[in-house]
Amino acid sequence: MSDDTDLHHPVDLAALADSARADPALFESRSVEPVFARRVLATPLHMNVAAESRTNLWTDWNGYTVAEVLSDIEDEYRVLRHAAALADISPLFKYRISGREAAAFLARFAAGDISALRVDGTLPVVFCEDRGFVVGDGLLFRLGDDEYRLVTEEPHLAWLLDSAIGFAVQVEDVSSTLAAISLQGPLSARILSAANFAGVETLAPHAARWFDVAAQPVYVSRTALSGDAGYELWVDPEDASHIWSLLLAHGAPFGLAATGFALREIARVEAGRARAGRDYFGAFSAVEPESASTPFELGLAGLVDLDRGHFTGRNALRAAKSAPLRHTFSMLAIDWPEPLSFIGIHAGADMAGVATSTAFSWSLGKNLALAMLKPEFLDKPRKLHIEAEMRHGFEVRRVIVPARLVSGPAPMGPKP
Amino acid sequence: MQRHDVIVIGGGLNGLTAAACLARAGADVLLLERNAGFGVAAGYDVAPGFRMPRYSLGTSTLPARLVADLELTRHGLRLLRVDGGVSLLAGGAYQASYRDGIVHRRELARVSPKDADAWTRYRRDMLAAAARLRPLLSRRMSDPSKRSIANIRRLLGAADAFASIGATELHELTRLWTLSAADFLSDYFVSEEVKSHLAAAVLSGATFGPFAPGSARLLLQPFMEETGAASAGAPAAVLALGGPEAVAAAFVAAIVAHGGTVRTEAEVTDIILRRDEARGVSLANGEEIYARAILSDLDLKRTFLTLFPWKELPSGLVKRVGRFRLRGVTAKINIALDAAPLFPDVPEGCPALLGVTRLAGSLDEMDRALDDWRDRMPPRAPLIEALVPSLVDRSLAPEGKHVMSVCVHGVPEILHDGPWTGARRDELAELAVKRIAERSPGFRDRILALDTLVPPDIEAEVGLTSGDFAQGEETLDQMFFNRPFASLSGHETPIRNFYLCSASGHPGSLAPGGAGADAAKLVAEALGKRGIYVPA
Repeated sequence: MSDDTDLHHPVDLAALADSARADPALFESRSVEPVFARRVLATPLHMNVAAESRTNLWTDWNGYTVAEVLSDIEDEYRVLRHAAALADISPLFKYRISGREAAAFLARFAAGDISALRVDGTLPVVFCEDRGFVVGDGLLFRLGDDEYRLVTEEPHLAWLLDSAIGFAVQVEDVSSTLAAISLQGPLSARILSAANFAGVETLAPHAARWFDVAAQPVYVSRTALSGDAGYELWVDPEDASHIWSLLLAHGAPFGLAATGFALREIARVEAGRARAGRDYFGAFSAVEPESASTPFELGLAGLVDLDRGHFTGRNALRAAKSAPLRHTFSMLAIDWPEPLSFIGIHAGADMAGVATSTAFSWSLGKNLALAMLKPEFLDKPRKLHIEAEMRHGFEVRRVIVPARLVSGPAPMGPKP
Repeated sequence: MQRHDVIVIGGGLNGLTAAACLARAGADVLLLERNAGFGVAAGYDVAPGFRMPRYSLGTSTLPARLVADLELTRHGLRLLRVDGGVSLLAGGAYQASYRDGIVHRRELARVSPKDADAWTRYRRDMLAAAARLRPLLSRRMSDPSKRSIANIRRLLGAADAFASIGATELHELTRLWTLSAADFLSDYFVSEEVKSHLAAAVLSGATFGPFAPGSARLLLQPFMEETGAASAGAPAAVLALGGPEAVAAAFVAAIVAHGGTVRTEAEVTDIILRRDEARGVSLANGEEIYARAILSDLDLKRTFLTLFPWKELPSGLVKRVGRFRLRGVTAKINIALDAAPLFPDVPEGCPALLGVTRLAGSLDEMDRALDDWRDRMPPRAPLIEALVPSLVDRSLAPEGKHVMSVCVHGVPEILHDGPWTGARRDELAELAVKRIAERSPGFRDRILALDTLVPPDIEAEVGLTSGDFAQGEETLDQMFFNRPFASLSGHETPIRNFYLCSASGHPGSLAPGGAGADAAKLVAEALGKRGIYVPA
C-alpha cells in the first residue's frame, strides 16, 4: 500500500460542506446592512488610519477602503527608506488551513517544497492548476504542527476547497477576522523593541512568533513586501487599533509615519514583485489561455520543486520547464528624472511587451517598470524603449527613453 | 409607378436594422410596417398616461456595435444601464445581480462563500466562450452542401475559426453546447439559490428547461455583449429611455436621415413576381410598389406562406417551411400601478430591483414548468419576469404611479383542451397577480389596469407566427447553417431579389439585429455588382 494517505479517504461531502462554511463573522456585515449599501468596506484600522490622513485620499483594495496617500508620497517614501513606515494591510486575503493532513494537503496544493517549513516559519508559495498555470501566489505561515495560514492578494477559497477534497483538513476564510499591520523600514526593529516587543531583534528573517504586548497576543513575522527590512503584525481586529496606536506612539521618536497604498505599490515595484490581478492574471481569471502564466513565465521558478512528490500541475510544469516561454515577467529601469506614464514597451518598430506596474523610485532617481515581455526580446539584446507623452501647456511632447532590463530587486538603502 | 431600390417588409428590429444599414449605404429604401407601432417594440397606453411596451418585456438587447454604427444616439436613443435583476426564490430567499464585481461577490457569499469565489471562474469561462461565438454570429452562413467557391471559402473560414481553438478550450465549448444548464452550473456553484438565479435569468422565452441537454448555451446570452475583466460582476440590464418604442423611433430617424422612407399601417399582402423574380409588393389598399430588392423581416412561415401564391414557389419549399418550428412560450401582462410594488424579501433600496425581478422557483420547478408547456397545460408555477421601467424612466407613468411589464413564460399557444378564451386569459392573469402578490404585499390593491396577451393574441396583432418572439425555436437543429434550414441559411431565397432578413435566419436571437445587418450587407453587395450604386 502506498502511504499516499489521501487515497484512503472517501469524499465526505458533509465534512466538505462544513469546511466550506466560512467563519460566521466573516460576512457579518450582512446582518447590519445589505450588500449593496456599501461597496467598499472599512478595515478594523480605518478610524486610526483616517486620523493620520492629511490628504483624505483613499483607494479601494480588495473591496476595502485603504489610504492612497496619507501625507505626501515623497515624504512617505523617505520614511520608508530612512525610518519606518506603518501601513494597514488588512485587505489581504487570509486562509486558515488546519487538520491532521494540512501538511499533506499543502504539499499537494503548492508547487514548492513545504516540508522545510517549521512552526513559526514563513514560506513564499505559488500554486497552479492542472495545466500548470499559476492560480495565485502568497505567503504561507506555519502556526502549529497542523495549522497553517495562507496570505494571498486575491480570493482563493473555491480553489482551496476544491483541492482539499479527500484530505482531512479544514479551510477557513479568516480574512475579516484578522487585521494586519505592516511596519517596514530600517528602524522598524528598534521601534518594535521600544514598543515592548521583547526580544524582537532575535527574530530571524522570514521567521515569526507570538508576542504579548500590553496583554494582547500579536503574531509578528519578519516579512515584508520589499525584502528583509520589515515586519508584519497579525492581530485580532479588536486589538488592531491599540497596537497601531502603540506603534505610532513609540515610533514617533524614530520618525515613524503612517503610509498609504501608493507607497506599498512603489516598494513592490522596487522589489520586483508581481501582484496577482495586476501584473499577472490567475488561471481562473485569465479569459484567454494566452494570458495565464506558468511560474517560469513569472520568474517564480524558485518556488517550484519538480523533484519532490506529486503536486497539482506538476506534470504540466515538467513539460513547461523545457518549453519556450510565451511571455516573461521582467523588471525594467527607465532613466528619466521624473515620473513618466507609459504602457507599451517597444523594441524598434515592434511591440515588445506591456508595462503592468510602474513607479518612480526616488532612491534611484529613475522610473521602474514591471513588464510582461515577449521572450524573443530578452534573448536578443535589442534596444528596448518606452514612449511617453508629456504635456507642456497646450503642447504635447513625445519622449522616447531607453529601457534597461534589471535583474533582481533594485538595491535599496541600508540593510538593518 | 412608385419605385425604390429596396423595400423592407416589416419593422421589427431586424427590418429596421436592414433598412437603416441600406439607407446609410446610399440605397433608396422604403420600409413598410403593417401596424402603427414597430413589431414587438410597439408601445401603448395600458391606461391613460401609462405608457409601456405592449409585447416585449422592455429591456434592450441592442448590440453596442449597432448603436455606434448607425449613430442611434445621434438619432435620439438614450440607453440606461442598471443592475442585472433580482430572483425571488423559494422560502423568502432572493439573489440579486450586481454589475460591481465586489458587491456581486458579496451577494453570492451571502449564500455560499465558495460560490462567491467560483463566480470569477464562471465569468471567465463565459467571456471566453462568448468571444469564440461572436465571430460565428457575424459570419454569413451558407448551405454546406452547396459547392461554390465563395461557399467553400466561407465554410473553411468557419472550420478555421474552430481549428484555432485549443483542445482544452474546445472541450469547454463542447460542454457548453451539450450539457444542461443545471449540470453546467453545478461545475461551478454549490448553492441552489445561485444556480436557480443564474438559470432563471436566461430561461425567458426558452422552450426547454434547465435540465434539458444543450440548455447550458443559454447561459452565454447575457455575456454576448459583455466586456471587462473576469473580476467584474454580473452583466447589466439595459433599458432605453422611453422604452422599446424609443429604440424603434431612433432607427426610423436614422433611416429618414439617410434618405429612406418609412410607412406604417402599410400592410404588404403579395409579392409581385415576374419570371421567378420578385419585382415589387402590393399593399392591402391595392397600391403597387416596385423595387430592385425586397427584404422580409417577417418570420419564415409568414414570409413564404402568406406573401406568395404557393404554386409559384419551388416544389417542396412550402412543405419545408411548414415544418419549421415556431413556438410561442410567452404571455405578456401589462399592468398600471397606483404605486411602486414593494418586495419586502429584498432589502429596501436594492438597486438590482431596477432591472428585472423574477419569480423563479427552483431548477426543478422551472424544468417542470416547461414540461407543462410541452403538454399544453396552462402554467401552474411559471417563470414570471416583471420590469417596472417607470422606476428609472419617470416619463412613462403619472407622478408617483408606475407601469409594470410582466412576461409569463411556459404559456402554450393552444391549450390541451381548446383555445385560449377570455376566461382562460383571466385565469392566467390571476395566477400571475397571485404569484406576484405573494411576494409583494398590497400588489393587488395597486393595480389600476391590466391587459393580458397570450401567444395567439401576439400572433394576431404583431404577426409573429405562434407568438414566437425568437421567430423560430432555437435548438441546434434550427441554428447556424441550419437556420431556418440549410438551403435557405444565407438570407438568399429561391426567388431572385427576395431576401429573408428576420430572426428566422442566422444568427436568430443570438445576435439581435444581426440577421438584418447581415442581409443588408448581402443586398448592398448584390446591388453594387449591378452598378446601381457603390456600397459605402
